[in-house]
Amino acid sequence: MQLANCLTEIGRQASRLAFLLLCTLVLASVIGCGATPPAYFRPNMVESTKQRLNPEQERQVATVLLAMFGTPDHPVALAETGLNEAKLHLAAGPVRSDIVGRKNGLYREHCAHCHGITGDGLGPTAAFLNPYPRDYRPGVFKFKSTERADKPTQADLVRILHNGIAGTSMPSFALLSETKIEALAEYVKYLTIRGETELTLIRAFFELDDDAKGTLPETREFLVEETLTPIAAKWQAAPAAAIPVPPIPANIDLVASIAKGRELFYGDKANCVKCHGVTGLGDGQANDYDDWNKVIVEADKEIRSGTEQASQASTAGMSPEQLADHRLQLVWLEKFHQVLDGDALTPRTIPPRNLRQGIYRGGRRPLDLYYRIYAGINGAPMPAAKGTVPPEDIWHIVNYVRSLPYEFDGELGADRPMVAPNRF
Amino acid sequence: MAVGCVPQRVATPLADAEVAQKIRATLVSAASASGSTREAAASTGTGWGTLKGRFLFVGVSGAVRPLAVDKDTEVCSKGGMKLVDRSLLVDPATKGLANVVVFARKASRVKNASPSTTPVVFDQKQCEFLTPVLAARVGQPIDVHNSDPIGHNTNIAGSSFNQLVPSGQGTVYKPESETGMPTAVTCNIHPWMKAYAVFRKDGYVAVSGVDGTFTLADLPAGEIIELQVWHERSNGPNGALGLEKPDLKWTPKGRFQIQLQPDEVKDIGTLDVPASVIGT
Repeated sequence: MQLANCLTEIGRQASRLAFLLLCTLVLASVIGCGATPPAYFRPNMVESTKQRLNPEQERQVATVLLAMFGTPDHPVALAETGLNEAKLHLAAGPVRSDIVGRKNGLYREHCAHCHGITGDGLGPTAAFLNPYPRDYRPGVFKFKSTERADKPTQADLVRILHNGIAGTSMPSFALLSETKIEALAEYVKYLTIRGETELTLIRAFFELDDDAKGTLPETREFLVEETLTPIAAKWQAAPAAAIPVPPIPANIDLVASIAKGRELFYGDKANCVKCHGVTGLGDGQANDYDDWNKVIVEADKEIRSGTEQASQASTAGMSPEQLADHRLQLVWLEKFHQVLDGDALTPRTIPPRNLRQGIYRGGRRPLDLYYRIYAGINGAPMPAAKGTVPPEDIWHIVNYVRSLPYEFDGELGADRPMVAPNRF
Repeated sequence: MAVGCVPQRVATPLADAEVAQKIRATLVSAASASGSTREAAASTGTGWGTLKGRFLFVGVSGAVRPLAVDKDTEVCSKGGMKLVDRSLLVDPATKGLANVVVFARKASRVKNASPSTTPVVFDQKQCEFLTPVLAARVGQPIDVHNSDPIGHNTNIAGSSFNQLVPSGQGTVYKPESETGMPTAVTCNIHPWMKAYAVFRKDGYVAVSGVDGTFTLADLPAGEIIELQVWHERSNGPNGALGLEKPDLKWTPKGRFQIQLQPDEVKDIGTLDVPASVIGT
């Protein structure tokens, strides 16, 4: 009896071992056992395909960017960018320790898995996150202390790294030292400036005179003075574009302020309920996109309309030239379709914020809410109340918004429960 | 090897490392005297001329598409009015194609050095922008107005101007930079609302009217002017309208060239826009 049990036990162990061996073999054949290839910046395929760049032109853009910005392992910061190359070297490259034990490769350790090596928001985990990680390349940032059109300041970037973004997958990096956070903020600026330069270069092909060879000039004048300097200048101008914030009125009666804020929230000057809903649950609207997703939606539309037209065109009566054009169009549509498959995430609508949860992505200080209402949110549908709602009234709206998670107002839809459903 | 686990991304060309080295050497070297490589566009003439033309649509323009109006219907669908998609407006009588934009890509001189201070009115009523294509000069004030009993916001893409416009009020916007091709203007509260805006430094922009005609006045005479043509539904790159007009040197990028004599009114005649260059 015991022997039988023993044998069964050995048999079970052996089959388990065999199973493990089988798994390892399968995994090894699937993943491979080679060294990781060096990291490289992926070109902005959506934009270069949309602009119908041919492979030589794509190559030229990649070469120019290599010259101006270097590689993920060896970044280069031209003087005009205003970036600190020492900080970039701390953040760039593979994760490794230097001789004194200082950890390098901070970006790859902490950020690249979501934001991608290129800062394009297409890291390996990006597809599983809601909201998607930020794509830095258009140079648009949502949560900052500057006017809508302007870049965030250094302090804004450090704040996001320090606090994370509540309600999203962006964690707080408060456990990192200040030096490391500053190095990461600098690297984010570097990736953003590189991304904006790439977009400008790709779009510049359309602006070329028709008799140009179809290549961009590789002169210092065009690349640095005309392309790079205006982009870097906007970053340097950010601190001067801070939103003017008047002090909160002295001796403010909070109850009266909240009541006034409620009036404004429901009123037709600020129109908050039109998107945030009469319940404040963010259900006033469900069909708008943020700027990043809008690009993909419009690309999708372009492909669909192009495919419909191409399939309806009858090749019978076409001249050889028209036939060649038609074929090129079909090839381009196929490429664009593949690019949207591999180089873009499925577009999602952007729901207005559910204000009953008390979770504010850009920060929950009254000042942060003031910034969001005054300038709106760049890249998102949230409009600016600047010029329409006077500053003291914005403070009243801020106070009302902060009271929303605690509002028990039977008048506001007695038939709806005051429980904020768990939504984004 | 890995099959089906990783999305297949298109192959991208590799950068040329040697060429990149050379480019970096030129970029890092001390700045050459700016302007040395480009001569200022020599203005070769005096006087001003006018350009006229007419866009006619050839073919079937398709059924008119209604817009999905699902908000504030007591204002936006007032009296049973149905808002329709205005992306392809063909006049049934004359076959004129409206809202084609023609602008000068580069002009060496401008008749009026500074933009006019009279604001251009850009209004919205019954949940529709009254001007489908707004053309203005950089620095010219635009009165973004709201004549509806409900609030709107006006979002000019690419300009980061996105502001609330309360009912019965307006806000003044001064474009600070020129758009390349026209850019979209939307309302986020009523997402079906759409218009386009084009701002140019020299102000040489014209938008074709209901009958398809356009007029560009006070263009500098005595030089070759290249004009860019755009339509919202065009299949061309970035909306450029490429037509078959070799006598005007019309390119697939939607550009053509003219040269005017002083006080000349040049009429380039009818420009046929076939249905094949218009997307769905």
